Amino acid sequence: MEAVANEVQKTVREKRPFTLLTILKNRWFLYAVSMVFFFWLWDFVGERRILGSSLARPHEVLIQLADMVTNPLAGKSLFGHIWASTQRILIGFVIASVVAVPLGLLMALNPYINAVVKPVFDLLKPMPPIAWISISILWFGIGEASKVFIIIIGTFVPCLLNSYNGVRLIEPELYDVVRMLGGNRRQEIINVCFPASFPAIFAGLQISLSIAWTCVLAAELVSARSGLGFVIILGMNLARPALIVGGMVVIAVVAWLTTLLVTALEKLVCPWKREIEGM
Amino acid sequence: MSVKESGVVSQEKGQDGYKIVCERISKEFIQKGTQRVHVLEDISVAVRKNEFVVILGPGQSGKTTLLRIIAGLEIPTTGRVLLDGREVTGPGPDRGLVFQGYMLFPWKTVMGNVEIGPKLRGVPKKERREIAARYIKLVGLDGFENHYPHQLSGGMKQRVGIARAYVNSPEVMLLDEPFGQLDAQTRYYMEKETVRIWETERRTVIFVTNNIDEAIYLGDRIITLQGKLPGRMHAVYEVDLPRPREHTDMKFLELRHIITEASELTL
Amino acid sequence: MAYEEVKVKKPLALRLLPIASLVFFLGTWQLIVDFEVLPSSMLASPWQVIQLFVVKLTEANPDGAVLARHAWTSIQEAFTGYILSLIVGIPLGLFMGWFVVAEGLARPFFEMIRPIPPIAWIPLTIFWFGIGLAGKVFIIWIAGIVPCVINSYVGVRMTNPTLIQMARTYGATDWQIFTQICIPSALPMVFGALQIALAYCWTNLVGAELLAADTGLGFLITMGRRLARPDMVVLGMISVGLTGAFIGVIIDRVEKRLLAGIRR
Repeated sequence: MEAVANEVQKTVREKRPFTLLTILKNRWFLYAVSMVFFFWLWDFVGERRILGSSLARPHEVLIQLADMVTNPLAGKSLFGHIWASTQRILIGFVIASVVAVPLGLLMALNPYINAVVKPVFDLLKPMPPIAWISISILWFGIGEASKVFIIIIGTFVPCLLNSYNGVRLIEPELYDVVRMLGGNRRQEIINVCFPASFPAIFAGLQISLSIAWTCVLAAELVSARSGLGFVIILGMNLARPALIVGGMVVIAVVAWLTTLLVTALEKLVCPWKREIEGM
Repeated sequence: MSVKESGVVSQEKGQDGYKIVCERISKEFIQKGTQRVHVLEDISVAVRKNEFVVILGPGQSGKTTLLRIIAGLEIPTTGRVLLDGREVTGPGPDRGLVFQGYMLFPWKTVMGNVEIGPKLRGVPKKERREIAARYIKLVGLDGFENHYPHQLSGGMKQRVGIARAYVNSPEVMLLDEPFGQLDAQTRYYMEKETVRIWETERRTVIFVTNNIDEAIYLGDRIITLQGKLPGRMHAVYEVDLPRPREHTDMKFLELRHIITEASELTL
Repeated sequence: MAYEEVKVKKPLALRLLPIASLVFFLGTWQLIVDFEVLPSSMLASPWQVIQLFVVKLTEANPDGAVLARHAWTSIQEAFTGYILSLIVGIPLGLFMGWFVVAEGLARPFFEMIRPIPPIAWIPLTIFWFGIGLAGKVFIIWIAGIVPCVINSYVGVRMTNPTLIQMARTYGATDWQIFTQICIPSALPMVFGALQIALAYCWTNLVGAELLAADTGLGFLITMGRRLARPDMVVLGMISVGLTGAFIGVIIDRVEKRLLAGIRR
């Protein structure tokens, strides 16, 4: 079937002449320049003490981090603190998504459940999760439970909203496909609702994840004896800038890695999703 | 060639031997919460077994709604649809519908999309794969079984849509402007393919379009709808040209002229 | 006539259930406190919160400021940081979307800063700016700038390439294409960023005030916890929620008006 094969499109790369300007305008070259400048600026500001003694130089931060790997800080090594924060996020995140995602789906599928849950949800939604920190300390003390609670509060909202909207924005004719082929309501939900709302649910999980990092840090800054938030607040209390900046670097790396993980998971679960160029 | 102006089939003429009978259908529905729209008014159509009927009308003439009523996806406000003499109360696998917007499941491959019908009926995997593969081959997509819809062109997507509808072996095929989004070349090619498939897998077909050439090329009979809401039946044309038809055939052009003249009056 | 206006009513149950649900929620909350299911040191009832609200309208103690002043401080901080993040973030994102050099130089900076939650900057900002306005504005600025840059960047990137090619055939310069085509077509995305950035700013404001403040709604919540006054905590939370929702509505109005101007 030739005509069919002809319908497949191919993209051809254009070749441009190679000049000095092409190097200067090359994306990767510019990235490299920018990175070098970033670290130079950081080192310069740290060395000249432009911001007082509060900014540690890059190599000081590296030494500090290397030191923390071997010498425990407040009873835990660097990896211990990373795990403390990650563990809180995982527990809170799992509890919130296990409850919120099905609830969102149910709300979208059943107008009566929606009528009961939505008003209360809308009432609680505008309160930033961080505003719950104080009350969660009053309720659960300063232990693990209060931190997990904050993460649950923070991640619940995007998980629920996205699964709710994911179902509501499904093209109604997709249900007609299943109905025409003799499917019943249950089959419509299994074959259309669930897979069609997957990308939206994953987007919700991505948002939740970044909120979860904010929440866990806020909770650890207020009261904790372990975790990355604790590391930077300890650095502040001991006036050790290398500890603060080191903590921030580690947070950035770990948060970035968890985002990558969820993206990879999404590609695995939703291979059909087209990629959009950009960030 | 016989042209029968405003040959509306009325109830009294008897409906024995007809596959599908629409009796005085009218339809109103509510859109945007508060707007009542009158879409169809007093439509009566009778379709013989294995006949290829084209419903021709401009945009906004209610032809898609009529097809959805026959499919059982919409309930007529008044009137009823009979399939083999039994009243249609809902959608079912005895009718296959091909959608204007393809409506493929983006999360399933070509094979996954085509085999969904037998899968819903609980046909074992091996068996349904075999049936699906046969129809994928029939529409000329063998080799593309593991592609996802976004990797296919418009024409290929609609082939999947046609295979998906055929795989349940429905007695009636309903096609809703299936080639409306395709370019002229692909469209012409797909029309030829439609005739080829229809000749191999003989079925009763109701085909909705807004393209006069397409209607004459495909149909045994053409039913035209009036060009503004509520949609009413305007005329019925018998097309007894031999297949394969030629767009440049004198009789083809003559009929085209007649229909164009007649439809312009209603716009 | 094919069209006709009609009234459609929702089923009675669907109209009553939301009200019933809210009444049940508030009632349970009140009863939990009244019958001391939870001790009064842990939760205040809605009625106690309303009473405190009335008191706090005029009474500055025990946290040092009346409610209006807390709210005003928070709004001031949030708005300063928000506006600054718009002023810097939107042009930066637009430039990054169109000019390769801008993208190449700015993106690594941006990508390295982006994964750090704004809250994590608090200790550094306390060193740099103390606990006054500037430190909190900095945190809010960091929080707001991320969605501004991303949305403006994606907005420019999503410009219809045919429009750009059309402009090229008419001999438009890069700069003309940028200002005449890319920016207008990115505007809906940019306006989308206004709401997202505001939500980020408001969340992080509360975080900033929890740690480093002497007035502000976040501070009110912290004081409530330190003094073991759950009514103050809940009042603070509700004030934060209401103020945030209120600002959100205003931004939404502004956005609609601006967008309507563009579509015309």
